[in-house]
Amino acid sequence: MSRRQAKGDYIETDSGNKVSRKAMLQGTQNIMLGGKAVIQPEVMIRGDLVRTAPSSSSSGGPANSTAVAIGRYCFLARGALLRPPGRIYKGTFTYMPLRMGDHVFVGQSTVVQAATVGNYVHIGRDCTIGEFAIIKDCVRILDGTIVPPHMVIPSFSIVAGQPARLIGELPEGGSLEDFELRDLYKSVGNNPQPPPP
Amino acid sequence: MSSSSKRQSIAPSSGPKPPVNFSSSLTIPKDASLTGHHSITILAETVIHPRARIDSAQGSVLIGRRCVIQERAQLGAAPGDRTSLSSTGGITLGDYVIVEAGATIEPGGTEVSEGTFVQVGSTIGRGAKVGKNCTITPKSVVRPGEVLPDNTVVFSNGQRRTDRRRVIDVRKVALLKQINVTRKMIRSDPDKFR
Repeated sequence: MSRRQAKGDYIETDSGNKVSRKAMLQGTQNIMLGGKAVIQPEVMIRGDLVRTAPSSSSSGGPANSTAVAIGRYCFLARGALLRPPGRIYKGTFTYMPLRMGDHVFVGQSTVVQAATVGNYVHIGRDCTIGEFAIIKDCVRILDGTIVPPHMVIPSFSIVAGQPARLIGELPEGGSLEDFELRDLYKSVGNNPQPPPP
Repeated sequence: MSSSSKRQSIAPSSGPKPPVNFSSSLTIPKDASLTGHHSITILAETVIHPRARIDSAQGSVLIGRRCVIQERAQLGAAPGDRTSLSSTGGITLGDYVIVEAGATIEPGGTEVSEGTFVQVGSTIGRGAKVGKNCTITPKSVVRPGEVLPDNTVVFSNGQRRTDRRRVIDVRKVALLKQINVTRKMIRSDPDKFR
C-alpha cells in the first residue's frame, strides 16, 4: 500500500506561523497570528469567545471581531490556553479581546486570560494569568505564578508567587536578547534547525 | 485511499457511552467528552465548554442548574486513573457552580454546593464537601474528604478565610448574564451523547 506523503506535524502558513496539527483552535476566524508564531500541540485558543458589546464609538469602523491577537515570534508551549477575559460592561456580559505583543513566550499548561500582554514577555510553565491582567513590556513571570485578575505588571519586573508579587527588577538597559524568540522559532516545525552554538 | 490511512480523530477516544439525562436548555458542544457507565444528569441552562471531560465510571454525576463547566475541566476520574475503582461514589454540583479551565473534581461522593466558584486549575479531592458560595482560587487544592463551610475562600495554596462581602446575589446575576451570552457562542449538540 502506498503511503500518502508524510505530512509534517506542523502547518506552516505563508506568514511563517507554525501551528501544530494537534493544537485546538476554536473560532479560527477570530484569531490573529502576527507571523512567525509557534503553536505547539495541545495548545487551546478560544477564538469563539468574541466581544459582543460594541467597542467604543471612536473607531467607528466595521465591527472588529478579533478575540485573540498575538504578535510576531510568539511561542505557545504545549498545553497552553489562551482565553479572552469576560466581564459585565454597561450592564451586559461581554468577552474582551486578548492582545499579545511580539516575542511572548507562554510556558507549558499556562492559562492566560489577560487583557494585554506586552512585547518581550516570558511567562513560565503552570502559571495562571487572571482575567484583565495587564502585563507591560519586558516582564518575566516565573513558573507556577498565579497573577490575580486585574493586576498590572510594570515593565522590567520579575514576578512570582501565589498570588503574584513583584520579586525583582530586570536590569535597566539589559539586553532584550534574552527574550528574543527567533532561535526558538527556528528550532521547531517540520524542518527544525538546531540552535546556534 | 484505504480507510486505514484516514486521519485519526484527535478527540479523546470515547470509552463506554454513559446514560445521559439532559435538560433541553443545556449547551454542550460535540467535542466535550462524556464517559463512564453511571448516569450523567445535567440540569437547565448549564453551559459546557469544548473539551470539558465528565467521567461517571465511579458513580453518577449530577450537575445543577445554570452551571458553567469550562474547557479542560475534569469531573470524575482522569483517564488512566483506574487505581481506586473500588471506592465508588459520584459527583454532585449544585446550582450556579462555575468550574473553570483545567480544574479537577475527583469522584467519590464529592459535593460542591450552590454558588461555588472553582477557579483555574484547582482540585477538589475525593469525597470532599464544599459548602455554598465558596471560592477556590486558581491552583488551590481541597484535600480528599475535607469539609468546607459556606462562604469559604481557599487561597495562597492552603489558607482559608470567610467571604463576608455579601455579593452572592450580584454574582448570580452576573453568571446568568454570562451564560446567556456564552450559550450563543457554543454550538450545542446534545444528540451526540444520547
